[in-house]
Amino acid sequence: MDQDRRNDWIWFGSLWAIFSAIGFYLVLGIDLLPAQWAHEAEIVDDAYILLMGLSIPIFAGVAAALLTSLLRFRVQVDDIPTEDGPPVHNNRNFVRLWVASTLILALMITVNPGFIGIAELRGEPSADIVVEVQAQRWSWKVNYENGAETFNQLYLPADRRVRFDITSLDLVHSFWIPGFRVKIDAVPGRVTYLYVTPEGVGSFEDDFNLRVQCAEICGLGHAQMAMPVTVLSPADFDAWVTDLAEGA
Amino acid sequence: MRQLLRAVIFGILGYLIGATLTWLVRGGSLGDEVCVVFGYVVGLVGWLFGIGMGDTWVREWFGLPARESDVTGWKRYLGFSTDHKVIGVQYLATFIVVLLLGGVAAMIIRFELAQAGEGILNADRYNQVMSMHGILMVAVAVAAILGSFGNYLVPIMIGADDMAFPRLNAVTFWLIPPVAIGLLAAPTLGSFDAGWTAYPPLSVVNNGGQILFVLAVTTFGLSSILGGLNVITTIVTMRAPGMTWGRLPIFVWAAFAASMISLLTTQFFAASLVLIAMDRVAGTVFFDGGAGGDPLLYQHLFWFYSHPAVYVMVLPGFGLVLETITHMSRKPLFAYKAVVVSLLTIAGLSVIVWAHHMFTSGMAEYLHGPFMFATEMISVPTGVIFLSAMATLWRGKLWMKTPLFFAMIWIFQFLMGGVTGIFLADVVTDVSLHDSYFVVAHFHYTIMGGMIFAFLTGIFFWFPKITGRMINDRLGIIFALWLTIGFQLTFLPQFWLGTNGMNRRIADYPDQLEGANLFSSISAFFLGGSFLLLIYILLSAARRGPKAGDNPWNASTLEWQVSSPPPEHNFSGQPTVVGHPYGYGTADSRHAEFAGMTAVGLAEPEQAGTGEGGDNE
Repeated sequence: MDQDRRNDWIWFGSLWAIFSAIGFYLVLGIDLLPAQWAHEAEIVDDAYILLMGLSIPIFAGVAAALLTSLLRFRVQVDDIPTEDGPPVHNNRNFVRLWVASTLILALMITVNPGFIGIAELRGEPSADIVVEVQAQRWSWKVNYENGAETFNQLYLPADRRVRFDITSLDLVHSFWIPGFRVKIDAVPGRVTYLYVTPEGVGSFEDDFNLRVQCAEICGLGHAQMAMPVTVLSPADFDAWVTDLAEGA
Repeated sequence: MRQLLRAVIFGILGYLIGATLTWLVRGGSLGDEVCVVFGYVVGLVGWLFGIGMGDTWVREWFGLPARESDVTGWKRYLGFSTDHKVIGVQYLATFIVVLLLGGVAAMIIRFELAQAGEGILNADRYNQVMSMHGILMVAVAVAAILGSFGNYLVPIMIGADDMAFPRLNAVTFWLIPPVAIGLLAAPTLGSFDAGWTAYPPLSVVNNGGQILFVLAVTTFGLSSILGGLNVITTIVTMRAPGMTWGRLPIFVWAAFAASMISLLTTQFFAASLVLIAMDRVAGTVFFDGGAGGDPLLYQHLFWFYSHPAVYVMVLPGFGLVLETITHMSRKPLFAYKAVVVSLLTIAGLSVIVWAHHMFTSGMAEYLHGPFMFATEMISVPTGVIFLSAMATLWRGKLWMKTPLFFAMIWIFQFLMGGVTGIFLADVVTDVSLHDSYFVVAHFHYTIMGGMIFAFLTGIFFWFPKITGRMINDRLGIIFALWLTIGFQLTFLPQFWLGTNGMNRRIADYPDQLEGANLFSSISAFFLGGSFLLLIYILLSAARRGPKAGDNPWNASTLEWQVSSPPPEHNFSGQPTVVGHPYGYGTADSRHAEFAGMTAVGLAEPEQAGTGEGGDNE
């Protein structure tokens, strides 16, 4: 009897180890996340990977318990079951241990990547440049500090901290740049903002995730409400934005 | 039949009267939204009067005797029946049909998304089909378990002969057809395209179909509130002698917790929809940012209900799954009290987490941390539910029939939903994942995995009780595997799509995402096909399945101690509850006694003897 019980746990432990190994192999082996184009993307992806790392053993544990049960505890029943399982109603210490560990785990992720991640992602409320973005069904208008204006085109300097001031003329839209991993809604009647530090020089042609995509349904043109993002080197950006302002 | 015909006529007449009177008073055209609103309200009253309120309540108000329906047989299911079992079956049949309708919409969506670019639907039509799919499935998720199994099982499980308010119960069900008609009639006014969430300002400025959405969903909310009230009152006041709170079957506790949520929070959704209606037809500006209103007000009100609503969906699912697991692994439910505390804790926590849907909405940033914290805390009571399910299985005598298969798959599915939910509760990752396909995949795992799989568990477990016939078990298991495999293949790629830049609710997407979308679409058709097998299984079993007997699973709770299907008032005498509902493994454990009772359920003494306490005397 005792040996039998021990075997249950050996099965469970082995399956847990195998599933966890498979899980880690898949997650680390498959390229789950697209290229990072901003400092913020690293923070978000680190949080994602940390949560993934914590999830795998939990997930594997439950899967192992289910498979162990299926393999070891199933019985053949002809007609109607006559044999009952052991009358175990509770195991207070085990429940306490379980609640304590889930609570600790929940608190842990609330702190990191929770609160710590929020603080990192938000950073200091200071910016090198401010870019105003105005959403309107189904397009984006961009204004730079020197008066330059673009329509459905967003140019940004690499390695400078940008603050977007975002407004909407009509409906709730959402300003999402998948390559930067950040988004904020554009809400009529208020200004929302977002801080981003782009990293690396590139454009929509290099990576389709270098685009601003509306992420809040806004009717007919919602899917097409996107604009390409181009990240220039700081010098190129300065030249570009000056040219544009003087040309206009 | 006569009642139904009368209800339809009164409903149409009511609509015409309401709309015409409004038109006469204010001019304009009969198709104006304000005429539709008053027409709908009067039509709804006419419908309810026609279906049976006129025969019962209204006659009594005027001192006349109520005219109770005397139809028997299958016709009861088409009329104003106050029998909770009839109402349960009405809900079951209705919501299986709605589920299949929503499923057809899902197939159309996946067909459109199989390739980039415009396919069979233009963007407008896509938004409409997507919105219809959303609201139909949300309605199924909210009402299917609580409406069908809540009605059917709760009174029998607690040893009562019916619900506390049988007529109100009938009204609760008969409010549903106008909801379906309202939603399905929306295309006549240009349909609605704002998703099931109906965020303003879009839902204020879009086509007229949105007003029918508002009216229908508000009616649905009324039905939810009345249903919740009825379930709670029934559990509080109608328990059999000896049925203490500590002896309630776990599904009854789950229905109680879920009903608390629907009773206390549905109003907020209804209120927010009424404000939308006012903005549309009465010229108010609650949500007009330019005129002093605030779109975020709606989001707060909406999620104050709609987050708890996901627990209205899944808590009864927890109940069904735990019942099935304890009966079919023939072990007492592990940590019963901890599960009860967890169900109530989840219900309590559910109303303080709503703004985790709004981390990117532009609301004040100091709200992010507290809502993230509260949301993470929900994982603790939910973890206890998982513990109970797994520890009950552990060293049990698992009878691997279809219901237990579904219950175990449910654990897997809901775990997947729960774990991916952590990524969305965490502010940092949510800023990236919010409104992406990651969310779509996540809530299909929680709602379809957590609710529909529990619903199917319930259907397969209680089908013999409801119909008196057994389901073909081999086909049931094939269906379970088919559905589960199709589900993984459909929704796992959607997590990847979400992290790789596909946002939700779009008719078109960048070409680079086509491969995963095509894969997901093909898998979705495979998944959808499994429901044809389900229909075949259910229909063939209902017509030709072998007789089930009273207690085919040899289970301990009260509903298994009466005939299949149960007699009209459930028990011919008053059962007395004398012990724990899940006394498996204890030789002299008994749940209830039927002194002086000659119920059909005791016709076969051996079987009833083993069934009552679940022991092997």
